[in-house]
Amino acid sequence: MAFVMPTILFFLVFKYGPMLWAMGLSFTTYDMMKPPRWVGLENYESILRDPIFREALANTLVYIAGSTIFITLVGLGLALAINTRGPGRRACMSAMFLTNIMPILAVCLVWRFLFHPHGLLNQFLGPLGFGRLDWLTDSALAMPAIILVTVWRFAPYFMVVFLAGLLTIPPEYYEAAEIDGANAVRRFRYLTLPLLMPVTFFVVVVAALLSARIFLMPFIITGGGPGNATRVLSMLIYETGFSYMKMGRAAAISVVLFAIVMVLTLAQMRLFMRSEEEYS
Amino acid sequence: MTNASSGPGVSRRQALTRIGALGAGATAVAATRTRGFAQPKAPITLSFWTFDNPQQRPWLHKRVNQYMEKNPNVKVDFQWFTFADLGKKVSVGYATGTAPDGFVTGDWLMPTWLARNLIAPLDVKLLGYPALDAFRKDHADAFVAGAIKDGQAYGYPLWFYGFCNYLNTKQFKEVGLDPVKDQPRTWTELGEVAKRLTIKQGNKFTRQGFKFAMHAAQWTMIQLNPIVSQVGGQWFDASGKCTINNEAGVKAMTIRASIARQYGAEDPADSIATFPLPQMDWLKERCSMFSCHPIPPVAIKSQNPVMESEGYFLPVQMAGVTADKRYTTCYGFNFVVNARAPKDKQEALHDMYRFIMSDLVDCWQATAPFTLARKTGWTDDPRVKSFPHVGEIIKAKDNGVFFPRTPIWTELADAMHRAVQKVMLNNADIKAALDEAAAEVDRATAEFKKA
Repeated sequence: MAFVMPTILFFLVFKYGPMLWAMGLSFTTYDMMKPPRWVGLENYESILRDPIFREALANTLVYIAGSTIFITLVGLGLALAINTRGPGRRACMSAMFLTNIMPILAVCLVWRFLFHPHGLLNQFLGPLGFGRLDWLTDSALAMPAIILVTVWRFAPYFMVVFLAGLLTIPPEYYEAAEIDGANAVRRFRYLTLPLLMPVTFFVVVVAALLSARIFLMPFIITGGGPGNATRVLSMLIYETGFSYMKMGRAAAISVVLFAIVMVLTLAQMRLFMRSEEEYS
Repeated sequence: MTNASSGPGVSRRQALTRIGALGAGATAVAATRTRGFAQPKAPITLSFWTFDNPQQRPWLHKRVNQYMEKNPNVKVDFQWFTFADLGKKVSVGYATGTAPDGFVTGDWLMPTWLARNLIAPLDVKLLGYPALDAFRKDHADAFVAGAIKDGQAYGYPLWFYGFCNYLNTKQFKEVGLDPVKDQPRTWTELGEVAKRLTIKQGNKFTRQGFKFAMHAAQWTMIQLNPIVSQVGGQWFDASGKCTINNEAGVKAMTIRASIARQYGAEDPADSIATFPLPQMDWLKERCSMFSCHPIPPVAIKSQNPVMESEGYFLPVQMAGVTADKRYTTCYGFNFVVNARAPKDKQEALHDMYRFIMSDLVDCWQATAPFTLARKTGWTDDPRVKSFPHVGEIIKAKDNGVFFPRTPIWTELADAMHRAVQKVMLNNADIKAALDEAAAEVDRATAEFKKA
């Protein structure tokens, strides 16, 4: 107990303490200048009536779903592609992983140039028959653009996680399946996928949590626009707290975000536990 | 009986009166000098924050350093932040008890600080004025209006400048326009001129005739505010309700949108300009006209040395600014004092501010063409008068219309920025977008009043 006490104390002071403080703050009005004043559930009632909050909530859910699905699919695809004995495998893996270690600010600025109406992306897509795409200024395209950057950045990280999972599957299983006449698709469907289920669960949960906390990408790339098209809850928390100086209201939004993340995580846990039971 | 030391013919009463008068005079002179740039008795450390800018921040820093040299007992912890971050940093500073003793603030944020009693009233006598009236008369009414509350000054105006329409005279001549004679004076003229200046290749603008900034809420307000005023609009009615969605507001937004929608002279989605250089498209000659604060020659030189050396640019008054409609955007900066700073620090800050502002020509030379708030003490100097286009730049300052003074300024600016984006980028209905913005602003007002 004595050995773990510093860690427990650290978490109590720097993690759970502020969390509880934020929850308490959500029942107050607090402009950072005067002491907080108790207002009960007023902040929650107010944000639920606020169309900007509702838009930001919808954007956040779309972003979480879009990023998590594509990060998982692309990460798994890359892992399967790289899980070969071909030459240059390590070099490929390292090159892909570079996207993950680049400073986020640089990533966002580079993508802003790529997304420019006359930027590289449109110049590449033009000859393929696409007209001018206003990636960051068309409200229908702005969120997919942010998801694209997210997948580009994080999929290689999860590729490594999937790759580690793939390497733990004994090759004898595949040899036996091959002898039994299973083709590549069936081997993937009945061997790889079930045996990767714990890893997939980890990837989905972590990717969803990561997505729920997204802030810098929409903040730098689109500023939440056009209109409210890419304003996510974490951006709204920042604006409400630090631009409008409504800390109580910002805390209420952060509690809602926390609840969403908790619900998502619990739902995914139930879903994956059931899937694992079915496969085992 | 006479007093020997008094001399013949002078009574003791007279002698005492003279000595008293001499003493009073000497005291007054000493007091004036002391009040000039006095040294606090004990060593003192002042924290002072400002915004960053290639000209203004270094000049302020120089003056603060000079003040410290003259006052060895005073140490100033001089810090600066990006223009957009300063207000937030100060807010967080107040929340955490780390706000500076004094800082420079945009005048549009004065209601935010005043509504919460965060800044201290200034003693104008310590700033060198005999009374508030003299302080008021030393600045344009509009500049001090936002700095005075309940008969007390809370802000000491520093720089205040108006927006001009910057023309690329070479491009004007290329399309057969005379930059002086054909400079657009109304929004219709601006649309027509911009259309002639525009060059397109397919759906790509090689050159935009005119460009509104699209990158930041502050700039959205800067460029929309004068149009709202010109068409007779108001941001709020007497009860505090947002009225930007009324007929005048719709007219203003229609004008704002017309350059792209009606004249096809602007592509709101196509810009290389971002914070902190929204004028970049104009500097790079990708647009021919841009409404901007005074642009220092050094800034032009750094981005386009040819334009600077050949001088093919001309600031003129913004469209819609006429003798009877003197509305161009104007904003400025005030020195303020933290109400929570100890009294001795507040007094020392007065002294420092007075010192900083005691050489206006030096300020102009270092920061030109950013105009100063003071009416006199610099405009008649030959070094100011000889500055290119200075008359037009000063006229823009004097024709200024101010941002709405409201404690929910940030919410208003953000709501309007979203409305402009919806109209310009998503082709949204103007009235519907303004209705949404007005509703947002009214919610923010209600919440502010409640809190």
